[in-house]
Amino acid sequence: MTPIEQFFYNLEHTDLSMWVRGPSLLVFPVIVSFHTLGMGFLAGTSAGIDFRILGVAKRVPLSALQKFYPIMWAALVINFISGTLLLIGYPWKAVTNPDFYVKLSMIALGVYLMVKIRQQVLNQPDLSDDKIQRHAKLLAWLSLGAWGGAILAGRLLAYTYTWLEVGVRGGF
Amino acid sequence: MFEEPEFPAAWELWVRSTFLHQFVADQGQWLWPVMETLHYLGLSLLLGTVGMFDLRVLGMAKGIPPEALHKLIPFGIAGFAVNFLTGISFFSGFPEQYFYNPSFWWKGTFMAIAAMNVAVFYLSPSFQQVKAMPAGSDAPFRAKVIAGTSLLCWISVLVCGRLLTFFRPPVFH
Repeated sequence: MTPIEQFFYNLEHTDLSMWVRGPSLLVFPVIVSFHTLGMGFLAGTSAGIDFRILGVAKRVPLSALQKFYPIMWAALVINFISGTLLLIGYPWKAVTNPDFYVKLSMIALGVYLMVKIRQQVLNQPDLSDDKIQRHAKLLAWLSLGAWGGAILAGRLLAYTYTWLEVGVRGGF
Repeated sequence: MFEEPEFPAAWELWVRSTFLHQFVADQGQWLWPVMETLHYLGLSLLLGTVGMFDLRVLGMAKGIPPEALHKLIPFGIAGFAVNFLTGISFFSGFPEQYFYNPSFWWKGTFMAIAAMNVAVFYLSPSFQQVKAMPAGSDAPFRAKVIAGTSLLCWISVLVCGRLLTFFRPPVFH
């Protein structure tokens, strides 16, 4: 076993990791349920804001949409915690799957765009300028792409791993 | 009720005789992950847009007139349509996995309550009242109850859907 494998093997045999992987219906299923709920509210609310920027529901005042940010931040926190627990449950499975890094990158991009959109679009008193409008729409399209990509990459994690645990091969 | 019988029931044999069942069973390797991804995208659209509207009615982001936010609802309906179609395909592919699964029936129950709630909202005076609300105003109590019910129902539908895999018949474990 290499030192890296040893580290992950040790992590997989901590109480917390075994608790997450365990058979209890009150642990793993509850964690993934929270993770999916957080995904829906984070990606969904962000998409709703993107649609508004792209020209749907034009009578929604852009600045007032900032009031939905606490929902998205709460969803992100829920997913960070539940995601960390899932990672502790199956660390080797995640870190040996390139798709996992695609997913994390997409989430990072999505969150970055969420902040940018607030600063450069929702917080702008005057968006009449064509150039600013084009920039705003570009951010909105990128945001939709980032969340779509994160969901796609996340769902495919279940189909693309080669290792389940250190020394235990997955089905792929 | 959740016990899978020894021999497939008539309804199951019928589902298994359909083209959709054959297609999903044959092409599952690539089709299943694609449909799952679409199902997750659809649920995000539904939860996001309907959720924003419900939260506004409940009192969040009062600077937005609810009627303006209502224009996002077609995206939620589109998400629901995607999920209805992918859901039917999932069921056709492995009918017994869903039929003999308590989580499936709970999910259906919450969807039925959500549907009745939608009907109550649009058929009662609540929709007209909410539609007439200007920015900054507070929704009537009944509209808030409907919005809260909607939010709780869709959250429950999602959770029951996510729990399906953990309650399916033993043959799938």
